[in-house]
Amino acid sequence: MNGEPTEEQLNAMAYADGELDDAARREFEALLPRRPDLAREVAQLRRLQVLARHVAGPEPMDTEWARLAADPLHRGGRGLGLGLLLAGGTGGTVWAAIEILRGELPIWGKAGLGALLLGSFLLLVTTIRARARTLPFDPYTEIQR
Amino acid sequence: MIVLTTPDVPGRKIVEVLGIVRGNAVRGAHLGRDISAFFKNLVGGEIEEYTKLLAESREQSLDRMVAEAQAKGADAIVNVRFATSEVTAGAAEFLAYGTAVKLAAGTA
Repeated sequence: MNGEPTEEQLNAMAYADGELDDAARREFEALLPRRPDLAREVAQLRRLQVLARHVAGPEPMDTEWARLAADPLHRGGRGLGLGLLLAGGTGGTVWAAIEILRGELPIWGKAGLGALLLGSFLLLVTTIRARARTLPFDPYTEIQR
Repeated sequence: MIVLTTPDVPGRKIVEVLGIVRGNAVRGAHLGRDISAFFKNLVGGEIEEYTKLLAESREQSLDRMVAEAQAKGADAIVNVRFATSEVTAGAAEFLAYGTAVKLAAGTA
């Protein structure tokens, strides 16, 4: 936020803090579906409120976790391991599906299997898309414990 | 909003009970976290992925309970309790519930 907050930003702060009266709250809520930028602003403020509840000091292990997380060998090993695992799993599944579809299955069996795979793929894609859309409005993702 | 696990609000008088308020949340970890948690489970120690998952559900259920109390015009929620259950493997369900009350102005 640069300089003085705008009136809308002040309203967003008051809304996130629960300080608007009923009429003002309803008016602001009616604005939110048409203004994703304001909705994002509210989500950001709520994210800060949620984090601000955690007043406990760091644990002794925290510094070691932070050092480990910054270690290139640790990060690289985890990233590569996960990447290989997912690539292998996806590749293996696709290969197995192709082999089954090319095999001796009757046509109705192939159609059923094809529908199952395509349906699963579509559900996965729409779920990932929905998560990507809602993620900026989820104030709980930065909570650690 | 005052949120307490005790049946009373010290120094304040309850003048109206608005009824039970509750909030629940079921959250899941993404595949990467589940895989990482699986390997941590093999060697022991804290599984931060699931600590985080439970904490996210806890805070979200708490916020939903507070939102319901605010909608009822409550000043406080007393007797707050938390409960967990497992709806599906790898997901965390948290339920927060309590009694919404209105308080008298000033001290008791």
